[in-house]
Amino acid sequence: MLRRIANGFEAIVAVVFLVVVILLFTNKPTSIPSTAQGAAVDAYGLPLANAADGSAAPAGPDGAAIFKQRCASCHGADGGGSVGPQLNEGRMGEKYPDVADQIAVVTNGRGEMPNFGSRLTPEEIAAVVEYTRTVLAGG
Amino acid sequence: MSELTTVGRQREWSPALVFGAAAGVGALVAVAAGVYGGVHDAASEPTTQWFFTSTLHFKAWMTTVAVLLAIGQLLGGMWMFGKLPFGPAPSWVGPGHRIAGSLALLVSLPVAYHCLWSLGFNPDPGGARRFWHSVLGCLFYGTFATKVLAVRSHRMPGWALPVVGGVLVTILVLIWLTSSLWFFRTVGLEF
Repeated sequence: MLRRIANGFEAIVAVVFLVVVILLFTNKPTSIPSTAQGAAVDAYGLPLANAADGSAAPAGPDGAAIFKQRCASCHGADGGGSVGPQLNEGRMGEKYPDVADQIAVVTNGRGEMPNFGSRLTPEEIAAVVEYTRTVLAGG
Repeated sequence: MSELTTVGRQREWSPALVFGAAAGVGALVAVAAGVYGGVHDAASEPTTQWFFTSTLHFKAWMTTVAVLLAIGQLLGGMWMFGKLPFGPAPSWVGPGHRIAGSLALLVSLPVAYHCLWSLGFNPDPGGARRFWHSVLGCLFYGTFATKVLAVRSHRMPGWALPVVGGVLVTILVLIWLTSSLWFFRTVGLEF
């Protein structure tokens, strides 16, 4: 009886193993939304000019969404820190008075911090850095 | 007739060769995992967290469960090989050993999925913990493949199964030391 259970369980685990392998090759990362969701874009994805005054609709990577997807698991949902250090309450402005230093750490990684230079565009990195220095700082 | 028997024996693989083939398959699995982790564009996204605070909490505890199951497996294996002072192993130890091993593999899968899909292989030996954790993670699945083949084959050398099983438990403990223990020391014993 126990032997049959073991056989059945091994079969189930083998199927789960195959599913995981398939997911490794088929699952695509979540796309990062723009701040101007729903804004009209041209065929190249660039924002169309506003018909009324000719100005371009503000569009760019959503720093909050990037933070939630890429940073929150280590730094906490509110940036309060977990495996990664605290980012909220103005800590980033204190630690990196020059924003370029913080961008360099996010881009190249340091210590346990992985590099995001190959995973995020410079615009996305700038947006999430800005988010940690403004919204998360309470500013 | 005797000539036919001799030819048949000559074609049979020696136990060492069978073990070598199983180890080769394991090496291929380990290399394949490493290549995937290195080539794949890491998603850097959380995946499963179920009832835990975050994916990392989930992973730390699942790895701990896998290690505990593996230690139970080690004791079961030692009992079956007569290395424990409790006399012969009862009939339930064998299937129990298999179920514990399957469970350990099962709980490791969502952990490995996040490691490979979301984080990738860290080739930088300067980042010692992540580098060695990457290497050990790949070795774990390679060794697991070798062990499955060792269990299924009846032509392995007698020492193969306990040695591969012992190596597998050792690798899993090292994986736990370079991930869960680090996590618990950094964050605390949180769920």
